[in-house]
Amino acid sequence: MCQAQRVFGRRLCTIGDTTGARRRSSSLWTDWASAPAAPSPHDKLIPRRRHMLRSFRIGSAVRSTTPGRSADRIYSSFTEKLANPAHRLQSYVSSSHDPYLNLSIEDHILHNTPADSTVLFLYVNRPCVVIGRNQNPWTEVNLAILNAARGTHSPKDSEPPGIGSMDLVRRRSGGGAVFHDEGNLNWSIKCPRGDFTRDKHAEMVVRALRKMGIERARVNTRHDIVLDQGHERHVSDAQDTHQTPYTVPEGELPRPLKVSGSAYKLTRQHALHHATLLLSSPNLHIIPQYLRSPAKEFIQAHGVESVSSPVANIGLDVQPFQQHLQAEFATMYAELGTPSIVETVGDDYLNMPEIRKGYDELQTEDWIWSQTPAFSLTLDSKDDIGIQMKVHHGAIKSLDFENLDLRDETRTALRTALVGLKLHEIRNWASFLQCRMPSWDKSLVPVAQRLDQLLPVPELPKR
Amino acid sequence: MAARTSVARAVRQLSSTAAAARRPSPFMCQRWAAQASQQQRLFSVSAALREKKYTEDHEWIEMSSDGKTCTLGISTYAAKALGDVVYIELPQIEMDVSEGDAIGAVESVKSASDILTPVSGTVAEVNSELEEKPANINKDPEGAAWIAKITVAGEPGGKMMSAEEYAEFTEDG
Repeated sequence: MCQAQRVFGRRLCTIGDTTGARRRSSSLWTDWASAPAAPSPHDKLIPRRRHMLRSFRIGSAVRSTTPGRSADRIYSSFTEKLANPAHRLQSYVSSSHDPYLNLSIEDHILHNTPADSTVLFLYVNRPCVVIGRNQNPWTEVNLAILNAARGTHSPKDSEPPGIGSMDLVRRRSGGGAVFHDEGNLNWSIKCPRGDFTRDKHAEMVVRALRKMGIERARVNTRHDIVLDQGHERHVSDAQDTHQTPYTVPEGELPRPLKVSGSAYKLTRQHALHHATLLLSSPNLHIIPQYLRSPAKEFIQAHGVESVSSPVANIGLDVQPFQQHLQAEFATMYAELGTPSIVETVGDDYLNMPEIRKGYDELQTEDWIWSQTPAFSLTLDSKDDIGIQMKVHHGAIKSLDFENLDLRDETRTALRTALVGLKLHEIRNWASFLQCRMPSWDKSLVPVAQRLDQLLPVPELPKR
Repeated sequence: MAARTSVARAVRQLSSTAAAARRPSPFMCQRWAAQASQQQRLFSVSAALREKKYTEDHEWIEMSSDGKTCTLGISTYAAKALGDVVYIELPQIEMDVSEGDAIGAVESVKSASDILTPVSGTVAEVNSELEEKPANINKDPEGAAWIAKITVAGEPGGKMMSAEEYAEFTEDG
């Protein structure tokens, strides 16, 4: 089926990637494609001063390097240090594996650092699926297995090992759906808007990779990082981060494997480039299962559709590479001086009200589910249940029936029960309909079963 | 002079819209007609106040002839810089907005920007055609692909530039 026919001007038509159709390869990974766009509360004036005296404990490493400072100084907030105009080069690494927290810290860094500063932030998340701001979780994610992985049933031998509980995260930035785990390093750079180019920091990461012996790494035309798979070695300029000795002409086989996908957020003063980097994921083989939705072919949606690319692990450990990347960053920006802040942030940063606020917002059901762009689910009457449901802002807007088995009064009762309701409020269609329908019509059984299959809403963990 | 430039632009917008649209839309023609009559009335009021103004964040606003409503969009410069737009998050109608608020967002391949309003007020209308056809933003960002109309509650804040000043600003940038 030609996907381009059933999307409304979405990325498939506009990006230079293959066809956009999901390849049936075992190594699939979707793309962090486009960019971040978040009317975040932080876009407004930040009441920085008000929080200056907040009692907040910073990392012990910093305390040990700043002996003799006053207690106020030691406990001054992260925000104050971020915002210090003297700190033009800053480097942070997170010890937290909480995706909601790391994204909130990243957002906080973006909005609270001086306009002329450049900041590196590295973090690793526990296994989770992260979708773009304008994506549809029902089409991008296999929601039923997220739920299964949460332990609502006993794991079977056939199930992927080692995943455990999985978070579903909608980030504030745009782009496609990605899978994160402990073998994936997220690198994020905030720089002045005027200095920004889409490639410059991907090139920095390629230089760091090559210094660690990954000579097949390069930046491709979509600003992502790939590993060339060419069989023969050709002469190539070692300084050229867009070509390797193994590069084959675009479109020819063997196709390069993607190891890092980028997304950007631009504000008046700042540019954020954040990206994944698959160093040593133990879950590469099962990533496609999480990013393939059974409902996708039945849903016509606005918004952003992911583009799949075959992926690979680079084969480096996260910890040593992190240090090399920090060193490469310091070298690249040596003219700005040595990083004035090199610090570890962690779970205790959740105590900062501004970060806590962002963290809570990311976990609201309205954000995760209702932010979904308008879509409609169409199940025809020939080989399906003959229903069309339109959903706007996460709420059921209309229901139309072609299902001859359903009596008129059942149709009316269904509309009364469902129209206006938030889709995510229905955790189980069968029991929901049994409660809400004035009289139970047996012909509703297959309807409820099918909707349970296609529109599952996993329970989100309360943390 | 400024008014003549605006009319010239409106004419260009009409021709580019007609060329770009797959089928002629009565909606667009009416819109242009409304704009044209608005342009005529401009001369009798204050051309300086009604002139299209630009922000440093690359939005434009244009006041209605009665001065109660302004139309807001993103500049041609911004639309080009963003690249192919794939989704536009529109504000909700009746939403109260304050000057400087992000009222929506434009997502393009690998990059995105917030849409900020330079004026406080209430969202009166949104261009819902952009939900179906976000790429229209690339075709006619300063005309048919306007984003929202806001019932204003005060003067725009921040630096507002005329078309000439904005052209200079983007050349420098």
